[in-house]
Amino acid sequence: MSRVGGDLRYFARTALRGLITSPVTTAVSVTTIGVALVLVGAFALLISNMEGLLDRFGDDLRVTAYLEEGLDEAAMSALARRVGTVEGVIEVQVVTKDEALERFQAGVGASTGLLQALEENPLPASLEIHLAESRRTPEGMRVVVEAVDGLPGVSDLAYGQEWVDGYARVVALVRSVGLGVGAVLALATTLIVANTIRLAIFARRDELEILALVGAGRSFVATPFLAEGLIQGAAGGAVALAVLYALFRLALPEIESGLSLLLGLASPEFFDLAAMLRLLGAGGVLGLVGSAAALIQGVRG
Amino acid sequence: MTSPSGDVPRRDALVQMYHVSKSYLPGTFALRDVTLEVNKGEFVFLTGPSGAGKTTLMRLLFAAEKPSEGQIILRGRNIARLGDAAIPRLRRRIGVVFQDFKLLANRTVEENVAIALEVLGRPPREIRRRVFALLKQVGLQHRRHHRPLTLSGGEQQRIALARALAGEPELLLADEPTGNLDSELTLEIMDLIAHASARGTTVMVATHDHSLVERYGRRTLHLEAGHLKEDRPAAGPPR
Repeated sequence: MSRVGGDLRYFARTALRGLITSPVTTAVSVTTIGVALVLVGAFALLISNMEGLLDRFGDDLRVTAYLEEGLDEAAMSALARRVGTVEGVIEVQVVTKDEALERFQAGVGASTGLLQALEENPLPASLEIHLAESRRTPEGMRVVVEAVDGLPGVSDLAYGQEWVDGYARVVALVRSVGLGVGAVLALATTLIVANTIRLAIFARRDELEILALVGAGRSFVATPFLAEGLIQGAAGGAVALAVLYALFRLALPEIESGLSLLLGLASPEFFDLAAMLRLLGAGGVLGLVGSAAALIQGVRG
Repeated sequence: MTSPSGDVPRRDALVQMYHVSKSYLPGTFALRDVTLEVNKGEFVFLTGPSGAGKTTLMRLLFAAEKPSEGQIILRGRNIARLGDAAIPRLRRRIGVVFQDFKLLANRTVEENVAIALEVLGRPPREIRRRVFALLKQVGLQHRRHHRPLTLSGGEQQRIALARALAGEPELLLADEPTGNLDSELTLEIMDLIAHASARGTTVMVATHDHSLVERYGRRTLHLEAGHLKEDRPAAGPPR
């Protein structure tokens, strides 16, 4: 085995020995990182689902331009072609007065006698304007609306702006709170891990003294501690993932019924593989940074 | 640079100390103006009462401390000016043995010795072979899987000695290596140290046990209150 191979073997063996021979400090570190990542992960899960919800909602998002009375089909088609040239518009569909009435009848049910009582069709013709994905934001919609508003033949515009604005604000708020909470938790966890590793260093001061005596360099002494931090962090990430998944499964029925009542949208989703790896990685980085912080103060070559 | 006597230093000098002082508190000196030379392969006793400066002198030699004044040349290199990064490289050429053994209680005998070779980056197979040879040399090969605390004081010091010799150091420093041992075990350890010296390792042994000095008849540096009071040449082989 080469020098590097021998060193790696030594580092791995020493790190594992450190973890096994200090089960209490190891458990404290793993739990601390796990708890912090459960909180951060819960926020991340909430944000990703809210964003997902907005994306799904965005697929159905369109601007409806109601047309003035008296436009013939040729004028409506010409107007539709003109709207179709607006940047961010991918499709424009003409809905005539008759089609609007049919849709209304289909929506409220054929048995209603209300419509039969009307002498003439009160519904206006309209253009359904479908937006490119990049325009499915409050700002993007506003640009399209401003371009269409005031065109000859357009009497009114509807696009659920308040809903979109409100929802986007909620997502931004949750994301900011998540980032803030995440940063505070990351700092707190780093300090706790640093203290835990410092305890481990103190508990092994005899070993460090002997290593220094026999000529171990700083990196040789430090690497097993960094590896310990990395392993503890990744283990904390794994614990957080398991807890989050369990909570997600337990809370799913409640969330689903609440969402279906509110929006009638699809089920919330758990992290995908990339997000899970990111959470594990975040744990590893927390552990590594905590170890490094402790080593900077604790180890003297 | 000249030797203590003003002569040009001999080419086989391994350790040279020139006007070395060490002070921990202003106005007090653990070592004061010590000048000496130790040649390659020499076996030197460092004697003196407690507080004479023996341990301080040894700590200066393996760079656990820096001198307050003076120069310490080891194999032509001034270790008083070594940076932190160079200290590990220096220590890999020096074996150190202490009165309290400094062994890891949670490691086996074999692992305690192997640690010195792991630091050197030796391959695992070579480490196993070398550790076995070292333990055989100190008569502990049959105890290699034991924990140090299950062994006697003499056996523990033999482990420490095997660890100190593992990297084939040029210089072996032993600070009161037999201070915790009875007379029979003391001779056992001293014979092993003398054996290392016979194979070319330069040896410095700090002791306040005059009977050892008499018995082995080696060059003796006597310290008192931080001053080098006497440099007595070797009287002859052990009786």
